[in-house]
Amino acid sequence: MDKSQAQDPLREADNGATAHTLRIGVYVCHCGGNISDVVDVERVVQAASGLSNGVVTRHYPAMCSETGQNLIIDDISNEKLDRVVVAACSPSLHEHTFRAAVARAGKNAYLYEHVNIREQVSWCGKSDPDGATNKAIRLVGAGVAKARLLRPLAPISMDAKRHVTVVGGGVSGLRAARDLARIGLAVTLIERSASLGGHMAQWHLVYPTEDKARDLLRELVDEVIGDPNITVHTRAEVIEASGYVGNFLLRVEPEHITVETGAIVLATGFDLYQPQEGEFGYGQYPEVITLDQLERMLDPEGPTSGRLERNGRAVNNVCLIHCVGSRQIEGIHQPGPDGKLNEYCSRVCCTATLRAAGEIRRRFPRTNVFELYRDIRTYGRGHEEYYDEASRLGVLFCRYEADRPPVVSPAEPKKGPGLICAKHPPGRSGKLNLVPFSAEEPDDSALVVQVKDTLTFGEELEIPADLVVLVTGMVPREIDTLVDQLKLSRSADGFLQEVHPKLRPVELAVNGLFVAGTCQAPMDISESCAAGSAAAAKAAALLASGRIELDPFLAPVDLDVCRGEGKCVEACQYQKAVTLVEVERDGRKVRHAEVNSALCNGCGMCTAVCPTGAIQVEGWRLDQFDAMVDALVADYAETEVSHA
Amino acid sequence: MLPADRAQVPKILILATEACAYPGADNVGQIHAEYPANTYVVRVPAPVMFSEPFYLHCFEKGIAGIIVMSCGHECPYPGAYDTLATRISRVHELMGERGIQTNRLRLCAVCTVCSKAFLKEVHQMHELLTSTV
Ligand SMILES: Cc1cc2nc3c(=O)[nH]c(=O)nc-3n(C[C@H](O)[C@H](O)[C@H](O)COP(=O)(O)OP(=O)(O)OC[C@H]3O[C@@H](n4cnc5c(N)ncnc54)[C@H](O)[C@@H]3O)c2cc1C
Ligand code: SF4
Repeated sequence: MDKSQAQDPLREADNGATAHTLRIGVYVCHCGGNISDVVDVERVVQAASGLSNGVVTRHYPAMCSETGQNLIIDDISNEKLDRVVVAACSPSLHEHTFRAAVARAGKNAYLYEHVNIREQVSWCGKSDPDGATNKAIRLVGAGVAKARLLRPLAPISMDAKRHVTVVGGGVSGLRAARDLARIGLAVTLIERSASLGGHMAQWHLVYPTEDKARDLLRELVDEVIGDPNITVHTRAEVIEASGYVGNFLLRVEPEHITVETGAIVLATGFDLYQPQEGEFGYGQYPEVITLDQLERMLDPEGPTSGRLERNGRAVNNVCLIHCVGSRQIEGIHQPGPDGKLNEYCSRVCCTATLRAAGEIRRRFPRTNVFELYRDIRTYGRGHEEYYDEASRLGVLFCRYEADRPPVVSPAEPKKGPGLICAKHPPGRSGKLNLVPFSAEEPDDSALVVQVKDTLTFGEELEIPADLVVLVTGMVPREIDTLVDQLKLSRSADGFLQEVHPKLRPVELAVNGLFVAGTCQAPMDISESCAAGSAAAAKAAALLASGRIELDPFLAPVDLDVCRGEGKCVEACQYQKAVTLVEVERDGRKVRHAEVNSALCNGCGMCTAVCPTGAIQVEGWRLDQFDAMVDALVADYAETEVSHA
Repeated sequence: MLPADRAQVPKILILATEACAYPGADNVGQIHAEYPANTYVVRVPAPVMFSEPFYLHCFEKGIAGIIVMSCGHECPYPGAYDTLATRISRVHELMGERGIQTNRLRLCAVCTVCSKAFLKEVHQMHELLTSTV
């Protein structure tokens, strides 16, 4: 790529204007009353026209409408505007709209500044309209101050490989790979284990369709393997990564291959929570297992050929304990080996448990099923039905509080009053026969689970169990090598973190990296597939033309000012984003910093430490911030509304 | 002219990260929660770009309080949050040396939907400034 482009952004002549003679257009939007019902837009316009450079100042009911945008476009040509400022809703909504309008008028799109006077002024200042108006005046002043110092920026364009690497061959990675190949991109799929499919390959029936998981997978796996655009490497891992968006280089072991790729989709999935020794009797009593083990047990192709048995005996009483290893609370739960608590909800386990409980009641009607939950979180379409069905089938629910978790202990031969006897098979109504234990009718379950049930106003129940299932959720998988090599961000809970949870949900902070499935957060299969498809679409859109445009908000170096001290190189967290180079200048050898625009992420770590101010993030230069602060504290006495 | 009381309402500068706190501030408006009007939210990619003098200059210019609303440990830029936290501590020292009350500069984390945290920070700073100014 042509690095000089980033360092020497095209400079528009500004017709010889200085910051003080620039012609600036200021537009204040009513937003159909959303703004103008609170903010006195006429006063804001009046104040703006009093600012130097405020050549055109207007207010208008809806600036984002076509007429509103045309107002800007016409003024740019008729009034020869150099800069445009629109005060309206949040920039997240329409900054792009107005930049595009400025570009349509033949101006550089970055000569535009957006001021937020809706979300951050009118909507949060209804009861103080004067205060809101004054605030809008100052914010517009700051916007104009910044606009004076805006420079035209050129988006950076370079060649990109039309190839995507998908890391992880679970259902989300498979979905992403298949979708990418269909769009016509070459794909390399790298899977750490010996086979494709991830966790889903272990499940038998899956909610919400009761499909056979392996049948669904087989279809997808066959498509992936049969696709000439996809190269699959199993038992393989990325051990080294370099390069940048459009041109990454990955070293894959143990095959010693190198992959040149334009984008990377991370689909490395989750790990199952491993209960601690003694947690609800886990590891202590052989009757205590986890949800995934129950799923295997119910599977006709599983270790017990689908029989529900423990210690070689059919199971009479199953007790499922929800939220084990999820939704942990400080002071109540023990942190894991890494010292962390899993505060999040694993989301899929409630419905998966209800599904399994229903299946047990249907297939083994003589087996009693107890579910001990904190909350039932059947959040998805078709999930709540599993709860209704489980209730209908006679699953017995108890609710416990986090600070009073159930206690699992060996059953004692002698039972006291107030215990549940679930030995009797359910009656024809499907309801369990619950009677107090008596000496004549001992239950021979090996374990007893004590729980304080808030559904019965705090009754202390003792539930016999010859199988206790811990409903364990998901934990982030150990992918330290990838995190380190690709500079991935992780959120506090340890899962990979997207740029923005709502607006950019499958993009990672490093350009060209995408995230799909449960390596991001607990998800079910439908959500994992949706994420895989979304990541594929994003990656394909990025690489479709074989060239990519990068945001110009990077940190170029002003060579006239740089003294080559290298403070920026020490501060920068991205490998090789900024380096020191030696060049000939006026016959002398000089050192100066050089920024690789494809690797720079525009965080400005370097800006703060640069002793000369030579390195600045374009679009967010420090002189622009200084000017904004000056404008915020400036004297607007003439135009501000005062309380009489 | 402006009556003296109005002109002297202490101004709070809020440096809000583009990825978290700025959308968080938008969220406060979206739920129509109110807070004092003497608050000016400025969008920044990462406040780590400001050096110590930037903050001191703001106070010299007449900003009464600064709240740096970062993404906390959810920061999309590796290492930036820790560097920022160290820098703010350093600015606190410099403020102390200059006799500027150190709690007039606050570093906190505000996420895209953290409206409560946003309001708490703003109200706290507002109270601090109006009770001491
Ligand atoms: C007990 C239980 C029951 C469930 N039941 C249901 C259900 O009924 N219905 C439903 O919709 N969902 C269910 N789920 C959720 C479902 O299992 C997940 O949504 C799905 O498996 C997520 O797929 P994934 O591709 O994101 O991750 P995974 O299945 O974990 O796949 C990730 C893949 O990446 C590979 N990998 C990891 N690290 C690397 C690396 N560094 N390099 C290369 N490869 C790597 C792994 O080997 C694995 O093959 C259940 C989950 C649990 C725990
Ligand atoms: S989904 Fe899992 S973690 Fe969330 S409430 Fe249900 S059992 Fe607990």
